[in-house]
Amino acid sequence: MTAAPSSVPAVAGGAPKPAHKPARGPWLKIVAMRLGLLVLFLGLWQVASLGAPAFVLPGPARVWEAWSALVASPGFWRDLGLTFQRVLAGFALATVVGVAFGLLLGASETLGRFFEPLLTVINTVSSSIWAIFALIWFGLSDWTTIFVVFMTAMPLILTTVWQGSKTVNADYVELARAFRMSRAQILAKIYLPTILPLFFASARLAFGFGARVSLVAETLGASSGVGYRLRQAADLVQTDQVFAWTLTLVALMLALEFLVLKPLETRLFRWKKRAEID
Amino acid sequence: MAAAVRAQSVSKWFPLRDGESLHVLQGVDIEVEERSVAAIVGASGCGKSTLLNIIAGLIPPDRGEVFLNGVPSKSFTEWRSLTYMFQDDRLLPWRTAAQNVAFGLEAAGAPRAERRERVAETLALVGLADFAEAYPHELSGGMRSRVALARSLVTRPSILLMDEPFSKLDPSIRSQMHDEVLRVAGLMGMTIVFVTHDVEEAVVLADTVVTLKPRPGRVQETHVINLPHPRDPLSAEVAERARLLRRSLQS
Repeated sequence: MTAAPSSVPAVAGGAPKPAHKPARGPWLKIVAMRLGLLVLFLGLWQVASLGAPAFVLPGPARVWEAWSALVASPGFWRDLGLTFQRVLAGFALATVVGVAFGLLLGASETLGRFFEPLLTVINTVSSSIWAIFALIWFGLSDWTTIFVVFMTAMPLILTTVWQGSKTVNADYVELARAFRMSRAQILAKIYLPTILPLFFASARLAFGFGARVSLVAETLGASSGVGYRLRQAADLVQTDQVFAWTLTLVALMLALEFLVLKPLETRLFRWKKRAEID
Repeated sequence: MAAAVRAQSVSKWFPLRDGESLHVLQGVDIEVEERSVAAIVGASGCGKSTLLNIIAGLIPPDRGEVFLNGVPSKSFTEWRSLTYMFQDDRLLPWRTAAQNVAFGLEAAGAPRAERRERVAETLALVGLADFAEAYPHELSGGMRSRVALARSLVTRPSILLMDEPFSKLDPSIRSQMHDEVLRVAGLMGMTIVFVTHDVEEAVVLADTVVTLKPRPGRVQETHVINLPHPRDPLSAEVAERARLLRRSLQS
């Protein structure tokens, strides 16, 4: 027992704390830099808009006005909600199918080898082509957008889960077997936690792609939603409307990233040892 | 006293690629008394880990039979009363120390409240009550081994099997773990069967040491080590026993 104290790392009272806390100085500096970038961007935009007609490039003030009016308009939340629902539905389906088949292909080498070419084919088909197929098959309906989001997001998630399940540590599986765990338990307690970090990264990517292609799908095959409004605005050469919608989408994606995804990631992967570069 | 573990003429062949098979174990008989510590010693390739896996019920023997607490292992259902410790700690990095210990209870699906209580108890038993919420990468090698030990003890097993335990630890920490295991085994009245290639470790821990001859693995001799505990690994008695064992292995 005498050697014990020397082997105790700097963890006291059972409450491990992160070794580093970002210092105050750099943080303020980053905020200042971001603000500076924003001001520079707005300034350039303002200058550029002075030399162009409003239907080509409306200025920041005009876009702000259009955006305020848009948010206040009765259809705004409905269109936003519809698009969000379609993206979410497509993404949810992609997650369920991608994870299930990814695990299946990962678990069986034969199945994996058999289906591998199919995945490559799906990956090489452009989202716009899926949109056209969807239009033919589903017409002007929610399913057109859902299908396109699904076909874009699913292969990404499937590939990641499949590759991830090949990296599962055989020692951990042996451990679970020594504790008499069932196959389902091994899947839930060893495979899923191993894959989760990879899955999270790919799901974030897939959601971003899905959200972007959903607009393409909606411009082609919907009579509601953000994509449809964008096309309407383009047809009527309401450039300020296009800008206002774009602003909304950028703001939404940023909010999602910093209010949902980042905190979730921090919470889920607390266990990870940070690689520290001194 | 009854035998907690009994292997009866256990034989095992492993199939090779060319259709041949490798004879790993031949007619191995081993008997380990309840509440005693038995070591299986032999050079690498003598089939000692295979023998342990057969006793653990992880692989079936081709011939012969294993009895656990008097029950043939084929009809043995009390798997919670037998646990296995690996050479390395195998802590799951995404789980805290407490969650890693709880892993031992999860297969059986014990109720949450009971699980929490047992985990806290067992962590306290190995002296890690204060580190329940620490992740493996925040713990030292010795502490990680204690967590792994706690994970094996949390089901209150009567039989503990160990495959070259602690062989990856520093000598001083290893010696601490030996004391720890013997203390806990005495406390809980466990039977221990472990495999090692280190004769000193066998002499320090075991009441009986079985030596295996390689290719195919078969029992050579059974040595009784009747030295009082605690045994100092650097003492003359331990060194003398170890020398005898080593000579018997080389013959």
